Amino acid sequence: MTSRILVVDDDTALAEMIGIVLRTEGFETFFCADGATAVQEWRAHRPDLILLDLMLPGMDGIEICTRIRAESGVPIIMLTARADTADVVRGLESGADDYIVKPFNPKELVARIRTRLRPGAQPESEMLRIGDLQVDVAAHEVRRGQSSIALTPLEFELLVALASKPQQVFSREMLLEQVWGYHYKADTRLVNVHVQRLRAKVELDPDNPKIVTTVRGVGYRAGAIV
Amino acid sequence: MPTAAVTVAGRSVTWRDGAWWRARAERIGTLWRRSLRFRTVVITLVLTALTIIIACVWMALAIQNDLFESRKTQALTDARRAVDSAQSTLDNAVVQDDPVQVQNLLTSIQGPLSQQSATDMTLAIRVDATPSQLAPPGFRSGGLTESMISAELRKHVRDSGSVDKQWAQSIALPGPDDSVRPGIVVGQQIVVPDIGPYELYLAYDLDDASSTLSFVQATLWIVGSALVVLIGAIAWFTLRAVTTPIREAADTSAQLAAGDLGVRLRVRGEDELATLGRSFNAMADSIQSQINQLAELSLVQQRFVSDVSHELRTPLTTIRLATDMLNDHRDEFDPTTARATELLHAQVQRFEVLLTDLLEISRYDAGSVQLELEPTSLARLAEDVIASMQQLAEQHGSDVRLVAPGGYSPVDMDPRRIRRIVRNLLGNAIEHGEGKPIVVTVDSNQQAVALAVRDYGMGMTEADAERVFDRFWRADPSRKRTIGGTGLGLSISLGDATLHRGTLAVWSRPGYGSNFVLTLPRGSHPVEAGSPLPTDPGDEATDDLGLTQPIIVSRPMDGGDA
Repeated sequence: MTSRILVVDDDTALAEMIGIVLRTEGFETFFCADGATAVQEWRAHRPDLILLDLMLPGMDGIEICTRIRAESGVPIIMLTARADTADVVRGLESGADDYIVKPFNPKELVARIRTRLRPGAQPESEMLRIGDLQVDVAAHEVRRGQSSIALTPLEFELLVALASKPQQVFSREMLLEQVWGYHYKADTRLVNVHVQRLRAKVELDPDNPKIVTTVRGVGYRAGAIV
Repeated sequence: MPTAAVTVAGRSVTWRDGAWWRARAERIGTLWRRSLRFRTVVITLVLTALTIIIACVWMALAIQNDLFESRKTQALTDARRAVDSAQSTLDNAVVQDDPVQVQNLLTSIQGPLSQQSATDMTLAIRVDATPSQLAPPGFRSGGLTESMISAELRKHVRDSGSVDKQWAQSIALPGPDDSVRPGIVVGQQIVVPDIGPYELYLAYDLDDASSTLSFVQATLWIVGSALVVLIGAIAWFTLRAVTTPIREAADTSAQLAAGDLGVRLRVRGEDELATLGRSFNAMADSIQSQINQLAELSLVQQRFVSDVSHELRTPLTTIRLATDMLNDHRDEFDPTTARATELLHAQVQRFEVLLTDLLEISRYDAGSVQLELEPTSLARLAEDVIASMQQLAEQHGSDVRLVAPGGYSPVDMDPRRIRRIVRNLLGNAIEHGEGKPIVVTVDSNQQAVALAVRDYGMGMTEADAERVFDRFWRADPSRKRTIGGTGLGLSISLGDATLHRGTLAVWSRPGYGSNFVLTLPRGSHPVEAGSPLPTDPGDEATDDLGLTQPIIVSRPMDGGDA
């Protein structure tokens, strides 16, 4: 099955070039050059992944990201010219799963996209427990008691990664490799921001986390099963 | 401020201790040197106090003298009047050698004498000491006795031989309860008919004058002291009106010098201090506007560099994607086109690196770089970098060796930036090392960790070494470039080292190679005690490295990666 990708970028040359690269790799692509219509385009095509430029006319990438996240957990990868600005953190906080800094090479782009589209490594057990939550890996569902909690695929993967090895402390680098597919030192802000987003959804008290606990100076681990 | 105890060298001492006084004296000495107001007030007080003391003493003496003289004159006048009157009584009397009559006569003059002389202290002594049947020895009243009259005065009176001459002398009169009161005694002769001259003494009590004098003197001293205090206070307040604005001006200029360009002096009135304030403010305005102008200019420039770099990124991405794609398919092209594609691909990559470096530099210029500190072992980091560049070193025939006697314990640093510095230094060493060994040394001391990269290649002159951190500067333009740096590498490395409050120093001699030393402080304070590794390796005289330069190769025992 061909994955469908929506490229939102106002630079038509770049968008076209990205399209050529992705089509060569066997993806199906759609384009949108205007921020104001990006959300409509997304609704019309329901792509499997969105490549989103941060600086767009009409509506900026962060606003688009927030709106799409309100409706869906579709993987979003931001394209940005600046890695060091607060824009990246704001983009991640508004729900983007990953980001690529311009200029990037085709292999990097394709690798990032494939990581986000490929389902994560399946643990042996179909049902996992973490804290007071039940995680149904096959059904992609997280439940506290009878109520189900909606997570994006990335957040789900993060939770499964922690829950499948409850004894292990995961460093940020380990999580970057396992969840984001980075095999080299990457931006640990990715982990920090997404752990915060995950906690906001699954913790009863995000200021006093019981599900995803911090191990100072090392990283994170799964909370004790209740 | 009267404190009961001061602290000297960490212990508390009281005024019984010598140290307390020394500390006091020191404090006053400091005040004397530092406080214009204190010094001026002290000088004013001392001088006015001296003046007032002199004036008071002089006035007291003058008043005392004047008072005494006037009382003396009065006493003499009174005495003369009384004696003249008594003498005329005696002259008109007829006694006819009758002792009783003589006695009565003498008694009769005593009452008028007392009344007219205004004193009841009288004493009469017969001048001729030979006993006589007829002549009574004299009389006395009011407690005046012979012993109270000095021999000198008596001699004058006895020898005068005339009733007109008067003598006066100060004496001490017995007061009540054995006290002594000041007094004056007037002596002259009085002649009793048929009997001869008598010494007559009249004593006057000066106690009232004395108490007047003490009162006047006390008043003088009180007024004098009050005057000193008043003048001190006036000096203090007057000076405050002057020194307070001066201190304000000093504080404000210190603030200005510290970089707070917005501070201004408060200007009141139109006097000289106000003029000072206005001039100061005008100066500050001018400085501020110039600095702002320069800052703005530099900001515009920085923003421009940053914007250009960013604007170039989007088209560069497209070019990058296109060339990568072309490059992947170059086997399908004819040899010329394939070579062209290869060149295009390589130069686009170089362009990208250049752009990244330029952007990094513009970040330093804008001061917008944030370090992401984490505890990192410099020795392990060096090991990683050496391992990652082993292949490149081998291509150039250089043997990279790590000598790490210290520097294993983690120190807070931004590992990404430090790795970049080490990679850069090592890359340069490999490029300029002429295939000779390269020694990377890591060591530490209590304040800092340091890393040195030494090559034994061609080296540089001192003048070249000084410019090595300049942007786009190349030691020798004709040199073959094999690794292809941007000319910004060392500049960025220096920027990274400075951000860590560390240093990056270079030593180089033509023909002996170069030594770059990176020093990073353990804490947040800059290293003052010097780097654990010397910048000058001290082996200039070594002519053949292979023979005389022993290289200690040390590899950590455990293979663990930090």
